[in-house]
Amino acid sequence: MNNALEANSLSINRSGKPVLNDISFTVPAGEIYALLGGNGAGKSTTLLTFLGFLEAASGSVSVQGEQVNKNVKKAREAIAYLPEAATLYGHMSAYENLRYFLDLANAKASDSELNEALDSVALQTAARSQHMVTYSKGMRQKTAIALAILRDSPILLLDEPTSGLDPLAIDEFNRLARKLADQGRTILMVTHDVYGACQVADRIGLLRRGKLVGAFDRTEGEIDTETVHRAFAERAST
Amino acid sequence: MSTVYREFRFLMRERSALLWLGLAFMSATIAVVLGLKEVSEQRTTIADLITADQVEREVVKKDLADWGSAAYYSFHLTYDEPSDFAFAALGQRDLSPWKHRIRMLALEGQIYESDTTNPDFALIGRIDFAFVASLLSPLFLILLLHDLRSRERAAGRLDFIEATASGKMIWRTRGLLRTTLLWLCLVLPLWVGGIIAGASLMVLLIASAVVLTHLLIWWLIASWVANKDYTSAVNLVSLIGVWVVLAVITPAAIKAGVNVAVPIPDGGEILLTQREAVNDAWDLPKQATFEPFVKRHPELADYAKIDTPFEWKWYYAFQQVGDQNAESLSHAYLDGRIKRDVITSSLALLSPPVLTERLLQKQAQTDVAASIAYEERVRAYHADLRSWYYPKLFKDVEFETELLSLRPQYSTD
Repeated sequence: MNNALEANSLSINRSGKPVLNDISFTVPAGEIYALLGGNGAGKSTTLLTFLGFLEAASGSVSVQGEQVNKNVKKAREAIAYLPEAATLYGHMSAYENLRYFLDLANAKASDSELNEALDSVALQTAARSQHMVTYSKGMRQKTAIALAILRDSPILLLDEPTSGLDPLAIDEFNRLARKLADQGRTILMVTHDVYGACQVADRIGLLRRGKLVGAFDRTEGEIDTETVHRAFAERAST
Repeated sequence: MSTVYREFRFLMRERSALLWLGLAFMSATIAVVLGLKEVSEQRTTIADLITADQVEREVVKKDLADWGSAAYYSFHLTYDEPSDFAFAALGQRDLSPWKHRIRMLALEGQIYESDTTNPDFALIGRIDFAFVASLLSPLFLILLLHDLRSRERAAGRLDFIEATASGKMIWRTRGLLRTTLLWLCLVLPLWVGGIIAGASLMVLLIASAVVLTHLLIWWLIASWVANKDYTSAVNLVSLIGVWVVLAVITPAAIKAGVNVAVPIPDGGEILLTQREAVNDAWDLPKQATFEPFVKRHPELADYAKIDTPFEWKWYYAFQQVGDQNAESLSHAYLDGRIKRDVITSSLALLSPPVLTERLLQKQAQTDVAASIAYEERVRAYHADLRSWYYPKLFKDVEFETELLSLRPQYSTD
């Protein structure tokens, strides 16, 4: 299987301090990979490196087989990125935000396609024309995911996608992530939500102080909440 | 949807940007209206003076009995007509006189006996378009551009936008679009004013290009600061600091430096020297007046003597000698002003607002060069009057009222 994302012996320094230290992992196309770790473990740094915002001190990252530092634009075109806050423009509606950001990404969508994408993330119809400043975090997240769907990007990078969501919204999100992966999209999500990761991820990496300290594979039967939670508590929570 | 159209629609939803653009448009409109009003008042004043001048000449003519009293009692209007673009940059017309009523008396004192110098205007200047374009427009642009990236970072959107847009071109597009719209808000009232005033197309195009270039310089400065990844507040304070340095401190330093480097006498000094010379002449032997006079007018040497206590030719001779005595000061003043202007025009490259203001004043013909050119026209006209009167005064030509209509006429060319 082709690897959509690949980190090879990646080390990153920020402000002169090492944030990632020689980590390696791969995410095959169509899989969900969850990078678990506590605060300051280097999770978001990993995502930003795949987007070409940070330069590797050593090692490399590749998107669809091509090193990011050699063609940042191409890497970004393949990726839909959802930052933790997922703050779209509050003074614009979901429709207006989607149209704006789609155009920014050189993508197009008809009105029916917009509604289809918003239907798939279950954003209430009545809310779609309202300014997003009135949205809950879950609604903003859904809109941002709808954008990723509409962009038709093969790869999604999600930064703490379930942080601040209520249990029902987390459930909805996990189902949606699974659906997207089943459609062939690759998802790399960073989170500290062990239960959510175990529910949805094909593989899980544990990150602690910039080092990968554990890996779990669903196909090997290694992903169950108790095992991962124990490992997280022992190896990755600080 | 084109990139520019997309960002234009985005901007149209942004209230703060619309507010600043609206204020810029209002400022430019007010400045243009005030400029048009001022120029219109100046034109009306000139027209009224021309009428009054003609009426007065006719009235005075009836009582004239000789060439001396004709020269003494006749006033001659000189004026500097505002250009069709003067409404945009009033420049030196606020500081230097643009109209005089001169007589055949010593001239230098009459030139510098200014009636238009207003200390308030000398301090802050008038709010004309040049003021808005050179001093206020950078502030509007700073307000429009200082937080383009930083507020997105603060909102957690920066990486998201740059990742979605696959690069940083979006900031250039947003910045240039705001710069262009600000430019349009400034030049639209200028063009309307220009059409009303009958300004030439070329002048309007050059002025618009000057304003655009000025804004692009500030766009570069703002982009440079904004790319430093500071917060919006730090960006704003930094850019206001740059504005203070370039728009306030640098011009003040240039002016102070140039004044020290090129000392010049002031108009009052010239006036005093000339008047002292004229007043002293009453108590000096007549020959003390005629000697320096004849050096300038050797063709009148045979007539430069009087046997009576007073004759008009002696009176006008010592008026001229008064000018001759003040001549070195007057030349120093004139040369100094030109030299200061030349140096300032080079140093203006250090201050985009000063450069912009000077370029607009040049287009409006309200700069120092235009002011000096007007003074020179007044001197030339006065010299023509002397050339016309002197042969009649010195050679005892019989007085004929009808001949007064042949006196040189002031021309604005």
